[in-house]
Amino acid sequence: MSATLKAAIATQKRSIRWAVFCAVSAALSAVGLLAVSGWFLAGSAAAGLGGIAAVQGFNYLLPSAAIRAAAIARTATRYGERLLSHRAALYALAQFRTALFGMVAARALAGKSPASSGTMANRLGSDVDALEDAVIRQVTRPGAWSAGLAAAAAALMAGWIGCAILLATLALMRWCAKGLAARLLPCPIDRAAAAHEALQADYAEMAGPCADIAVYGLAPAMSDTLAEKARHYDLAQRDVVRAQALVSASQTLLATVGLVLLASFAQASAPIFALAMLGAMAGLENWGSLAVSDMRQHRVDLAQRHLASITAPHAAPTLASPPHRPDLMLCGQTIAYGSRLLVRGPSGVGKTRLLETLIGLREDAPQPIAVDGAIAGAEGGLAARRAIFALAAQDAPIMAGSVADNLALARSGLNETDMWEALKLACVDDVVRALPDGLQQWLGGDGARLSGGQKRRIALARALLADRPWLVLDEPSEGLDAATEARLVASLEQWLNRSGKGLLLVSHRPAMARLATSVIDL
Amino acid sequence: MVKPKTSPIPHLKPDPRASLWWVADSFGAILFAAGVAMAVSGKLSLATNLAWPLLLLAAGGALRAGAVGRAQIAGQVATARVQSSLRAMLHHHLLPTRLMRGRLIGEDMHLAVHSVAATEGLVARFLPLRMASGVVPVIIAVAVAPASWVASSIMLATLLPFILGMVLAGGAAARQAQAQHQALSRLSGLFVDRLRSLPTILAFSAEDRVTRHLGDAAQDVARRTMAVLGIAFASSAILEFFAALSVALVAVYCGFSLLGLLPFPVPEHLTLARAFYALALAPEFYLALRRLAAAYHDKQQGEAAIEAIEAEIAELPSPPAPCPTPRSWSGRAVMLSHPDGASIGPLDWAWRATGLHIISGPTGSGKSSLLLALIGQVPISGGTITIDGQLFSAGSLNAHIGWAGQQVALLPATLRANLAFGGEGDPAMLECLHRLGLAPMLAQRGGLDLVIDHRGSGLSGGERRRIGLARALLSGRPILMLDEPTADLDEQTAANVRAILADCAKAQMVLAASHDAALIAMAQSLCEVSA
Repeated sequence: MSATLKAAIATQKRSIRWAVFCAVSAALSAVGLLAVSGWFLAGSAAAGLGGIAAVQGFNYLLPSAAIRAAAIARTATRYGERLLSHRAALYALAQFRTALFGMVAARALAGKSPASSGTMANRLGSDVDALEDAVIRQVTRPGAWSAGLAAAAAALMAGWIGCAILLATLALMRWCAKGLAARLLPCPIDRAAAAHEALQADYAEMAGPCADIAVYGLAPAMSDTLAEKARHYDLAQRDVVRAQALVSASQTLLATVGLVLLASFAQASAPIFALAMLGAMAGLENWGSLAVSDMRQHRVDLAQRHLASITAPHAAPTLASPPHRPDLMLCGQTIAYGSRLLVRGPSGVGKTRLLETLIGLREDAPQPIAVDGAIAGAEGGLAARRAIFALAAQDAPIMAGSVADNLALARSGLNETDMWEALKLACVDDVVRALPDGLQQWLGGDGARLSGGQKRRIALARALLADRPWLVLDEPSEGLDAATEARLVASLEQWLNRSGKGLLLVSHRPAMARLATSVIDL
Repeated sequence: MVKPKTSPIPHLKPDPRASLWWVADSFGAILFAAGVAMAVSGKLSLATNLAWPLLLLAAGGALRAGAVGRAQIAGQVATARVQSSLRAMLHHHLLPTRLMRGRLIGEDMHLAVHSVAATEGLVARFLPLRMASGVVPVIIAVAVAPASWVASSIMLATLLPFILGMVLAGGAAARQAQAQHQALSRLSGLFVDRLRSLPTILAFSAEDRVTRHLGDAAQDVARRTMAVLGIAFASSAILEFFAALSVALVAVYCGFSLLGLLPFPVPEHLTLARAFYALALAPEFYLALRRLAAAYHDKQQGEAAIEAIEAEIAELPSPPAPCPTPRSWSGRAVMLSHPDGASIGPLDWAWRATGLHIISGPTGSGKSSLLLALIGQVPISGGTITIDGQLFSAGSLNAHIGWAGQQVALLPATLRANLAFGGEGDPAMLECLHRLGLAPMLAQRGGLDLVIDHRGSGLSGGERRRIGLARALLSGRPILMLDEPTADLDEQTAANVRAILADCAKAQMVLAASHDAALIAMAQSLCEVSA
């Protein structure tokens, strides 16, 4: 378990301790309820057969009160166990997620290619979810252990052979559950995960050219191909369930064998025999629930192995205060601070790659680049360069969150007035005003759906708010109609004149390109 | 879930086989209880031979182990069946309509793969358990009745307040879950979203602010989740309470009855075997309901997935009625809205049944959008389009259109099968492919028997596009719609394409989006789309 996860779990010590207390009490009262009930019944029957004197000699008040107390205690403590163990898991993982994000961010910043840092997002998310069991089992295990011990104690009352049989059953059940789960489950679980991913990839490959699919009616044939792929997933999933069914069946069978042996070898009076049998039954049932964790072990292992590889970098990159008016060098040309440069070239030549390399998000552009005299790739990466550039990327990445959340990314200390001003400059203030919740409108997921052009202009407003020496725009007017584009060009021109900042522009639209005063052809 | 009759979503019925196996588990419990009761009673009468009771006990245990396993497997088989029909339905509806619904590939993929997989717990576990949980208490009560009808009545009597409690708690849980639903679904996705947005966050030096915000949001999620869980756990505590209560009441009643100390007369005579049998079955009375409660999360997840699928299916545009091949096709002041938000137009044209008609304009101006709008993939926001004087509804001519777009979808089959939409034979196919300059590729890759997979089998983008063009030309359909048919071709092949199109234009309506001057020069009409 990684130190970060341990630290996160350690903060929930109090909840876990009380949860364990509840789990142990719940297990003991569950075993106690059945054991005392059995003893009480058999004892009553023996006393009933013995006549009036025996009945009056039989203390029935204590056991009947104990039965009612155990029933209430079992209910209350099981509620406490569930509530507290989930609380511990939820808060520990909340803390762990935050710490993990900080580490991933620091690593990406110190690493070679920060632009690719988002690709593992889904994987990391489901890894952290899988860890829930690692927390919950810290509670369920002590509970199951005390149920097992209580069952052994009940069996001990029927003689040491009975106790030995029960202990052997407990050990055998664990050995079998662990062994079967480790042997049977990992392979189909991995197969199912791989098949799921393959199915996603195939769907994405096929779904692109939907005009062809519509005109030629290709959907049925494609559906058949996908169904064939889905069958691999279904088969793997079936094997997972078969293995799980086998593991839980093994627990029931072994428990039954243990009980049959206990019954055959127990040397005791009927009340004690009843106590031992019912106590053992209740204890073994609880003990069998440990197998649930065994079946999740593979997923937890994978998650832990994967997350353990993510550690904070040794030293955070430090940097001097960023230059105020940095010049650039691109493809052998020096570009003075305040210039307005258009980067041109056929599609696919690597214009976006060049911009991203310049900023430090990646480092694979073949062109020679220097920023403020420092050669890109050799000195500093994103950490050094990001104070210089404000990027509005072509794919206009919008986070799930409100419009204001997205704009506030630009820098700290922004107020609503700043935001509205930037939205106006980016010619998108009317769009935001028309949203039901204005600046607080949630974007992404179940929030408002914006068109590509609208997203791009919100990303542009964000770049304007960042107030960096160079504004970097990648196809800002793609998907805009001519009138809006003209308004946008005028507004950007005004802003550039007023602020004196530099502009790096990639655009194939002639109206936009007129903003530039010099050109580099790739 | 009440669904309209027309819903294409397969009705979710519990799988009877899985439910039956869950019920069979109760019969195992009955055998087991009988075995334990006989063994204990045997001990009391000092019998030495416990063979029969132990045999019953072993048989009961074995039946339980087998039944629960079979129930899980049967549930999974049912899931595979439901999911494959869900997938087929989704693929049929989603694949041809993605563009007109304005969805990204990733969004459709999530629905068709992830949401379908998310129904597993609902179909495999919750639905069969729900059916079983209606039957199992009755079976146990009936099984206990011959031994002690009072114990049986005690169990049934605890069921009434239990149901009342569950209705109240269930209602509260549903309201709480409803109230938290939006905030939870938004906030719980935040961690993955922020990881995905990491490059942007880093580029703006916002990582510290975002980490802080994420920490607050994560605490908020935990707090809200606990609010929902607190009530959900309370309703299972009610369940637990009545389960424990029924065991305790049966134990106390049987004990006092055996002692002969009951304060009221009961018209039944209990023996230890009968009493013990009733006691051992008491926990089984609520077992199915407890299992059902444990599958509650499966239910929520599955229903959310089904709702998402239903919502998308409800948004599907209904396909237009097909109409016969037109003699003329014209548009007046037609406006299109690009998925990017831009509006295109106004556009005017008048096309006749034969001839070459070009749609021209600079890159990115919306030439392709017009073609896509006519096959119903891009919304038309204004103007009028008519065929033979009648109002045209987009997509109604699709069966008469041979289409070749920028991206080409090929079926995983032979090249021959991919070109066979017009019923042409091998010679015609080969001639067409040769004129499109694909002869070297054909010679190398095994001719028309070349097996294509959906990834393209190592075909270059240009080769794929030319195969798409060949498919349209060979389709034999009266209208050809071609997007940039001469782009990215060498001069000789481009000239061949022009000659082919000139030929086609004698008998077919050829509509091409192009800025190839030589092609434009051959055109009978030109529709200009301005940037």
